[in-house]
Amino acid sequence: MAPAKTEKYVDTKRKDDIRHANMVAAKAVADAVRTSLGPRGMDKMLSTANGDVIITNDGATILDKMEVIQPAAKMLVELSKSQDIVAGDGTTTVVVLAGALLKQCLDLLGKGIHPTTISEALHKASEKAVEVIKSMAIPVELTDQEQLIKIASTSLNSKVVSQYSTLLAPLAVDAVLNVRDLDRPDSVDLRDIKVLRKLGGTVDDTELVKGLVFDHKASHTAGGPTRVENAKIGLIQFQISPPKTDIEQSVIVSDYTQMDRILKEERNYILGIIKKIRATGCNVLLIQKSILRDAVTDLSLHYLAKAKILVIKDVEREDIEFISKTLNCLPIANIEHFRTEKLGYADLVEEVPVGNGRVVKVTGIKDMGRTVSIIVRGSNALVLDEAARSLHDALCVIRCLVNQRYLIAGGGAPEIEVSRQLGIWSRSLHGMESYCVRAFADAMEVIPFTLAENAGLNPISIVTELRNRHANGEVNTGINVRKGQITNILEENVVQPLLVSTSALSLATECVRMILKIDDIVSTR
Amino acid sequence: MGQNGELFKPDAMEEKGERARMASFIGAMAIADLVKSTLGPKGMDKILQSTGRGHSVTVTNDGATILKSLHVDNPAAKVLVDISKVQDDEVGDGTTSVVVLAGELLREAEKLVALKIHPMTIIAGYRMAAECARNALEAGVRNHKDDLERFRSDLVNIAMTTLSSKILSQDKVHFANLAVDAVLRLKGSSNMESIQIIKKCGGALKDSFLDEGFILDKKIGVGQPKRIENAKILVANTAMDTDKVKIYGARVRVDAMSKVAEIEAAEKIKMKNKVEKIVAHGINCFVNRQLIYNYPEELFADAGIMAIEHADFDGIERLALVTGGEITSTFNDPENVKLGHCKLIEEIMIGEDRLIHFSGVALGEACTIVLRGASSHVLDEAERSLHDALCVLVATVQDSRVIWGGGWPEFLMARRVEELGRKTPGKKSLAIDAFATALRAIPTTIADNAGLDSADLVSQLRAAHSEDGSRAGIDVISGEVGDMEKLGIYEAFKVKQAVLLSATEASEMILRVDEIIKCAPRQREDRM
Repeated sequence: MAPAKTEKYVDTKRKDDIRHANMVAAKAVADAVRTSLGPRGMDKMLSTANGDVIITNDGATILDKMEVIQPAAKMLVELSKSQDIVAGDGTTTVVVLAGALLKQCLDLLGKGIHPTTISEALHKASEKAVEVIKSMAIPVELTDQEQLIKIASTSLNSKVVSQYSTLLAPLAVDAVLNVRDLDRPDSVDLRDIKVLRKLGGTVDDTELVKGLVFDHKASHTAGGPTRVENAKIGLIQFQISPPKTDIEQSVIVSDYTQMDRILKEERNYILGIIKKIRATGCNVLLIQKSILRDAVTDLSLHYLAKAKILVIKDVEREDIEFISKTLNCLPIANIEHFRTEKLGYADLVEEVPVGNGRVVKVTGIKDMGRTVSIIVRGSNALVLDEAARSLHDALCVIRCLVNQRYLIAGGGAPEIEVSRQLGIWSRSLHGMESYCVRAFADAMEVIPFTLAENAGLNPISIVTELRNRHANGEVNTGINVRKGQITNILEENVVQPLLVSTSALSLATECVRMILKIDDIVSTR
Repeated sequence: MGQNGELFKPDAMEEKGERARMASFIGAMAIADLVKSTLGPKGMDKILQSTGRGHSVTVTNDGATILKSLHVDNPAAKVLVDISKVQDDEVGDGTTSVVVLAGELLREAEKLVALKIHPMTIIAGYRMAAECARNALEAGVRNHKDDLERFRSDLVNIAMTTLSSKILSQDKVHFANLAVDAVLRLKGSSNMESIQIIKKCGGALKDSFLDEGFILDKKIGVGQPKRIENAKILVANTAMDTDKVKIYGARVRVDAMSKVAEIEAAEKIKMKNKVEKIVAHGINCFVNRQLIYNYPEELFADAGIMAIEHADFDGIERLALVTGGEITSTFNDPENVKLGHCKLIEEIMIGEDRLIHFSGVALGEACTIVLRGASSHVLDEAERSLHDALCVLVATVQDSRVIWGGGWPEFLMARRVEELGRKTPGKKSLAIDAFATALRAIPTTIADNAGLDSADLVSQLRAAHSEDGSRAGIDVISGEVGDMEKLGIYEAFKVKQAVLLSATEASEMILRVDEIIKCAPRQREDRM
């Protein structure tokens, strides 16, 4: 008989089991990152499959590298990624929140409430919660640098590099405000900020360059210049090397004298190109990498050096757009088109040693595009990577504020307030809904609870005191981790963008509802 | 298990009579039970975990998607998978209902077979019942084709009913309007091609929007205009590198470097000529399916033309369609080339990505729905749901008859079928009664999935339907019997009819089977 799907009586036991297993697995993921929440959160060391070690505090990175295979657990990883895309920060928060909601859901399911009922109630509760948070929001002006720096600091404070927040925060604010497109005031493209990582030195040496930085050194082969003032920069996409055709070709040499002639011709050919370049007054040349043939040869580099032209080779094709935008020049794909109007101008192009490497800085660019470069430094690769990740978070936070110009208090204050207001609201509801909203409200307390726990404070006394203060109308009180007590968190300048909180809330709820609705795992092709 | 060594190859299997029928029943019912829990507005989802590489995960509520990706070995089960597929292709929705109904019909048939009623008698009874049910359904339709206002509200209601069983249920009003707008733009044509769905991670589902025009997920070349008004677009599929001699081993022999340089220059000139020919079309936007290399890109930039390279095949076909152009690959006679037109091309940002937006396109029907959502799972499922809704709406625009939903049609049909059963003499009446019972199983399942007391609800509904002109159905939200018209739960007649007919046909087909012959699996050559 055919070994078919012979399962005739499907009982609900199996479905409950699967739902339970999914939720437990997802909760385990949430628990894994729970301890890294907040300014006093711990870091994780991840050893990847190929032996690399990463130390990080960033939820999205931890989850990304964990390589979970359980489908429901994978959904939490995705959740953290989405938060990263939407807000860039709060990646740990969103997962911890989802974990707490799942825990509450398990209890509710245990009481025999139908999953779809829970799911709908959660949706209502999350909408209400977003309303509550929005009502707490304070508008912020982008001209208020001080305030922006405070917000960036809050984000940086939970990272390894927190002691450098006074340096990195203004840097991040400066970078984002610099690339903001005035035609589209509500959006910022973070790709206009180029972050370079250079080993050596300390995080203190991190700097913002209003110009362009190349992670290559200038060509030294033939002793060419490494510093050019009043630079005229050409960005070329053709090659300065002996000609090569697409069609297969061979040069036939029949005797010795011909060989000499060919060598001479080759030299003349290259010289001809360089003369044309020189004629436009160009003295800095950026050469795109070529896969078909050598972009430059030793010979051409030699001639370029003689012509006193600074050469940077191996520029990636993907970077061309960024470079041409920054330098306000046009890429040149053929020597015949090498004209003065396509060049970019800068006051200074200079090769500088950074750590154990060298970079080329282009500064004082005429009519510069809206881009900036940041050189991140760190004493070892781990610190360096973490610094770059933290900086990315801080940049995202500022970007959020550009998108939605509101901020709210941090330190668990909004969560406690949501919990309190939903608690009150739940009492006005009837039936199962009321129960589920109550559970949602309880789940929200996980954020201040974990914050306190991670900071080594007594979570129960802290959370109860917080509740108390909020009940008395002090909506902006939160946990001051540094002082280890409860204070008005706005006065302490612990603030975060509204978008981070609202998106964390709605994304976590959406994900939990999805997990709730699953009742079977089917393996397919 | 038949051991017919002489007749069949050694590994072939044969099952006969009772056993064969039993195997079919069980297989088909197992499949129906598998998707049963996804039925209705409070149906559950399934995780589909691929056993292939990557163990990719899909979360879905769509019957057709679940069944499509199953490993099915049972031949009868395969029949059900197929009808679900056909339903998906024909009307796009009701893919779960059709399988559940077929499963229930077979469940009832199994009982009758156990009573020693011949399958042919059952089939005859089912046929009569199906005919009667269809007539009942047809009598219950309403048609608002002439009243545009009401027709639109019908459409919105249908879309909401379809969407309420999907992931989009929370934002169903938003999505229903979105889908209806998109479908009404088609002005009666059934060309779903011109509705493009783009998925972009990030944001919430309700940030999704309908955009008039066309969005291409590509980049504009460096140094080229980022915004063009009154664009003339040439859509092409051509290689922009040097034309190569396609004969293998072709090579040139030269005796001097300068000649190599000449050849190179000649190649460049060929490229340039091609670009000049393209420019001679008087265009200001050039979209190519293949790569545009640096040199032509620069030439285009010099000519002030926006050049978009590497647009995927689907992308350019659609673009050609909506802008009214033709895909070209030779450029010798500009007069005979149909160019595409649109009012404005510009770069827009969705989330973190830059896309190219063509608005005011020649084909006014075209539109793009941009879906936003938390993760790729959500987005994929949202796309499937929206696709279902769009299919149903397109079907309704063509056949504008609508009926009420929420179990109403099933009860209406069941009642008529029962009446028929009472009038019919002979064993067939048993089959007709069985048909009515099977029809009632659908509302029962909907109620069960919603965690309601199905026995109570179904009996209440049955009582309500004993009167003519009742509009009672299950209101899953409140968990009571409600008035379907007031609640605005509508379904497309075409969908219900397709469900009824194909489920009956499939069960009939499976009932007729009395022998299963499984051929010997083809021997794989041992590669070890």
